[in-house]
Amino acid sequence: MLEATAVTRRYGKTTVLDGATLAVEKGRVAAIIGANGAGKSTFIKSIVGLIHFEGSIKIDGVDVARHGKRARRLVGYVPQDPAFHADLSVKETALLYANLKGVPAARAREMVEVAGLADHADKKTGALSGGMRQRLALAVAQLADPPLLILDEPAAGLDVSARLDLRKLVDSQKSAGKAIVLSTHWLEDVPYVADHALVLDQGKTVYSGPATQLAAPGAPGSKLYLRLNGHSPEAITLLRELPSMGAVAHTGDWVVVNCAATQKARVVEALVGAGISILDFRVEEAPVDAAVLHLQSLQRGAR
Amino acid sequence: MNAIITLGSKELGDAFRSRWLIAFAATFAAVALMLAYVQDDAGTVGEQGFNRTTAGLINLCLLLVPMLALILGASAIAGERERGTLASLLAQPVSATEVLVAKYIGLNLAVWGAIAMGFGAAGALVALFQPIADIGHYLLFVVLSAGLASAMLSLGMLISVLADSRVKALGGAVLLWFVLVLLYDIGAIGMALAVSSSGRTLALVALGNPVESIRLLAIMSMEPDLEILGPLGAYLTEEIGTATSVGMLIAGVAAWTVAPLAIAARWFAHQDV
Repeated sequence: MLEATAVTRRYGKTTVLDGATLAVEKGRVAAIIGANGAGKSTFIKSIVGLIHFEGSIKIDGVDVARHGKRARRLVGYVPQDPAFHADLSVKETALLYANLKGVPAARAREMVEVAGLADHADKKTGALSGGMRQRLALAVAQLADPPLLILDEPAAGLDVSARLDLRKLVDSQKSAGKAIVLSTHWLEDVPYVADHALVLDQGKTVYSGPATQLAAPGAPGSKLYLRLNGHSPEAITLLRELPSMGAVAHTGDWVVVNCAATQKARVVEALVGAGISILDFRVEEAPVDAAVLHLQSLQRGAR
Repeated sequence: MNAIITLGSKELGDAFRSRWLIAFAATFAAVALMLAYVQDDAGTVGEQGFNRTTAGLINLCLLLVPMLALILGASAIAGERERGTLASLLAQPVSATEVLVAKYIGLNLAVWGAIAMGFGAAGALVALFQPIADIGHYLLFVVLSAGLASAMLSLGMLISVLADSRVKALGGAVLLWFVLVLLYDIGAIGMALAVSSSGRTLALVALGNPVESIRLLAIMSMEPDLEILGPLGAYLTEEIGTATSVGMLIAGVAAWTVAPLAIAARWFAHQDV
């Protein structure tokens, strides 16, 4: 569905995207990962045809650089910070984009309802919250039921519940046979939602391969801070015995556990199973930089 | 085509909600009504007639129409870019050229509407007192004003595409208005007179500014002998002939309408969003 080959973007002497390559089949999800300024949005905007690039991008065989309008018929795009005409209402906005996509007005009304915005249909988009704007953007992106969905940092600014909804949406679209490209710096989501990961660092590709590598043993994981009800020594002993667990230490009132992002729930399960109650907890996700370093070492090892 | 109609209609609606257009239409209609309603020495209302009203409206139009069209045009793309809505539009199955042309058409219709409102109000008042056969010059000047608006809007949209912020675009529009409407007479025409006072040079200078071209066309429609224009009038009427002069000036305004829009479209299509 999407074939991007050696996509490069230069601004003067600065190369912000250097030969990025990505192929996504129908029913597959690719995640573009990187810190701020890594080139994620540049790559995504290139795919949509919003910026000019070197290299080749084809959507279902349609060349984006030469036939951008035709290619965009196949794409639903949700930008990082969706912007709508503030003086139009939600339903007028959906109708405007439906007209541009050549979709009947009934479909616009349907998508407003599906997005859970029916009660806000007459509200001006300028009065919508960030989360509502995001939902409207998703509704607009799906108006023409496009075979390729492109989501630029869709999880940014969303609360946990909205992120779970997003995961469900990605799963359902994937099951419906859509190809999905999303950019994120939320590493912990990637192994759950994506099949393929493309990791960018300062415009260069540092990893391109299965997304499961991001949750593999040795991958930088989460740091879990737990405040336990006076059972820290037993908890530390218990947790150190769990397989695939990183360092477990005691800092002040807190027990600090290093583990893979996918193992966090096992920590909680083990403690509750042993009758140790958890008074409080915090989670610190691995920074993207750490993942980049880890994946670079994996790539070097593979050569 | 569907995209042009959709975006053009939206632009037209937006323009009619714009305080610039409403202020312009209200001011224009009020001044036009005042000019039409002015009493003659005998105290008879409307005795000015269409020709006198047209003459009174020329200077008003040459000041206000370029200002409105330049400002609306300059806000068109730069404003959308600044608000982030341009990226939302261009991520749809539309081309940059379609967005630009749709905006141009929508804004053009809005400005024409505002001009028609102003002239219409004054015209209706004058028509109550004057024979309708006298309306020709008046209608011609409505058309000339619409032509001037189209050329200025085109220049405004070029500024909008080139500027990287709305404030810069508006600044550019006001500067261009100042140059074309106020400075041109003193600057370019003064310099041309210093170099050569021939009618040909002055005609060429007039072609370099759509405001001057429209001014000449309006004067030609009311004073066909153009004696008041001195060597320029003699050149236009006697050396190349009135018909050719009119054709040349209309072609000049048309070029000022098409060329900036074409350059803007080309530039816009090669810009990143």
